[in-house]
Amino acid sequence: MQGQVSQVIHAHRQAPWRVQRQLIGAFLLVVIGAAMVAALYLDVTARTAVAGREIQEMRAQISTVQRENADLETRLADLTSSAAMQRRALEAGYRPVQPGELDYVAVPGFALPEPAILLAAEDTAPHTQMRPAEYTQSLLEWFDERIKFGAPR
Amino acid sequence: MRQQYAIRSLIIAAGLVVAGLAVIVQMIRIQTSEQAMVFLSQGDRYSGEFQMFYPERGEIYDRSGHLLAGNRTVYEVGVSLSEMETPDSMAYILSTHLGIPYEEIYKKLSESPETWEYVVIQDYVAMETVDALKGLAQQLDDADDPRLSGLAFKPHLQRSYPESSLASNVLGFVTRDGRGYFGIEEKYNDLLAGNPVQIWVPRDPNKASEIPKVPNGTTLVLTLNRDLQAKVESLLDEALSDYGSPNGTIVVMDPRNGEILAMAATPRMDLNNYGNYFSLYDDGSQYNRSIGMSYEPGSVLKILTMAAALDAGTVRPDTSFIDTGMIEVGGITIQNWNRDSWGQQDMVGCLQHSLNVCLAWISSQMGTQAFYGYMERFGIGHSTGIDLSGEATGRLKVPGDGDWYPVDLGTNAFGQGVAVTPLQMLMAASAIANDGKMATPHVLYSMLRDGHQYNVPSQYAGSPISAETANTLNEMLAVSLEQESSQALVPGYRLAGKTGTAQIPTDYGYDAFHTNVSFVGWGPVDDPQFMVYIWLESPSTSIWASETASPVFSKVAEQTVILLNIPPDVVRSQVVPK
Repeated sequence: MQGQVSQVIHAHRQAPWRVQRQLIGAFLLVVIGAAMVAALYLDVTARTAVAGREIQEMRAQISTVQRENADLETRLADLTSSAAMQRRALEAGYRPVQPGELDYVAVPGFALPEPAILLAAEDTAPHTQMRPAEYTQSLLEWFDERIKFGAPR
Repeated sequence: MRQQYAIRSLIIAAGLVVAGLAVIVQMIRIQTSEQAMVFLSQGDRYSGEFQMFYPERGEIYDRSGHLLAGNRTVYEVGVSLSEMETPDSMAYILSTHLGIPYEEIYKKLSESPETWEYVVIQDYVAMETVDALKGLAQQLDDADDPRLSGLAFKPHLQRSYPESSLASNVLGFVTRDGRGYFGIEEKYNDLLAGNPVQIWVPRDPNKASEIPKVPNGTTLVLTLNRDLQAKVESLLDEALSDYGSPNGTIVVMDPRNGEILAMAATPRMDLNNYGNYFSLYDDGSQYNRSIGMSYEPGSVLKILTMAAALDAGTVRPDTSFIDTGMIEVGGITIQNWNRDSWGQQDMVGCLQHSLNVCLAWISSQMGTQAFYGYMERFGIGHSTGIDLSGEATGRLKVPGDGDWYPVDLGTNAFGQGVAVTPLQMLMAASAIANDGKMATPHVLYSMLRDGHQYNVPSQYAGSPISAETANTLNEMLAVSLEQESSQALVPGYRLAGKTGTAQIPTDYGYDAFHTNVSFVGWGPVDDPQFMVYIWLESPSTSIWASETASPVFSKVAEQTVILLNIPPDVVRSQVVPK
């Protein structure tokens, strides 16, 4: 009885269709795994490329905005220049004050304000930030780093 | 049979394995060869490019925040030759908009080397012109008309001066290569220009990264008061016209700290058209006469001689001097300006009547060592150290110099034989108005960089005389002006000052018909808040400073007290207890 069971198992193991199925299964497993890795890699790469393009566009936008800002500032200065303001004042019916026309009022304790230039709100935060490597390196670069330097400690 | 097949199969398999191994070995050999390194470096070279990022040039403001120098967008107009289809039409349209001859553009478009992909037609094109071209290009593009296909515009910034010629002598200008010339633009060129940064920019978007922010150039705030500057320039132009003077300068300074409030000189140029420079100036020293040109100042220098003599104890205000109309110094006879004798005078009288003989006597009494020692301490013959480029040092001959003669001790005392710049005289006189402390003149009030404001502290160039001497002379000069009923006076304000009428030296002696007229004055006498120096060259209506420079001082002082909000003495005395 035991011998018969052993023969059946042996026959089952040696069946050609069984071996082929095992091989095909293993092959498909490798293909699916590779496809998953490829899909993941493509996704990360595509997103990185999109982010890169956005950075390039933003860089161009920053330059444009800076130029526009400088233009507007200069244009405002053109409109409020000494000659322009004098012309507008004369057109509006004003005339230069004469010394005898000024009345001064004594205000004890009052002092003329010192010249003060209001600083434009500038971004004073550090611009170069340390970003983790995971945000910058590709999958292949990650593999390459692991192969060269091993796992991080 | 089966065995034969097996052997063949093994041979073929072995052959394939060997071939495969050979391929792999060859791949490794190629990858690690010297040529591979060359190819890799070539690949790297085209994977991106080094780009230079130029910071925006820092702006320049006056002390109240009015923009004096900024930046505006201009364009480089070019054509992408590979996209261009009709060079003749392109040349015709561009020539009408850019004002360049058709032939010149057509030659550029049609005769450029084949390797060229892009050709620049014109740079620094104004935004309005570019907007018109862009609009036309868009219209043609919508109509599938290729006449402007390939036209490209590259924007960049250019220096711009909203006030045109206002304070042009102080500001200087920036050429298209980004370098500052004269004035503030040259003196602080490195600060204003900032530091350009060269960065590798990859073409692969996967490798794109944030470019570190390139900080703008430092923004400067000047001590100038724009409204006062405009008024002083206007008064200078009026004075030149009224008195027939070809050129002149007026400087207004705060004697307490050396801040230059206004500095006007002629000629002035529209800084947005700096190409006019060569038609306006013969050399760089004429760009700002206040600091760049030295001259014999004449009697305004008498206040320094008197200050030195009072401080050294040689004379007192009530010291009596009998003026006989002439004095001999070093074997040469010196006379008064009108060749007359003025009899008995005290020191106030000597200043009031501007007596050369009296001042020559004073310097003779002091002796060369004491007199020239004081002149050195007043900074005569040395640059003031003002933060503007192109300052001249003037010339003070001293004993021991090859061209110094004993008579110079007498003539130098009344401002002859000594060359100074207007600013040197102003700095020296600031010691009299400021309790003996001589303020170093400066134009920079503060710097703005990386969100921080750095104020420039005032500096003093020493104390050539004591506070007591300064106050005594201050009072003497005020009395002197009042007693002669000078045209320099301003109602309501007590002022101190001195005129100067100087002959002009030539290669053949002094010019008999022309003079330089000057005035140095300050006020209010009890609390000096402004100093004014005036120099008018060769006025034709009168050779005397009392008839030309004095009334100009009065007008400048009158406007200065209004624009600086300085109340009349009566009002101030109610607030500040004496």
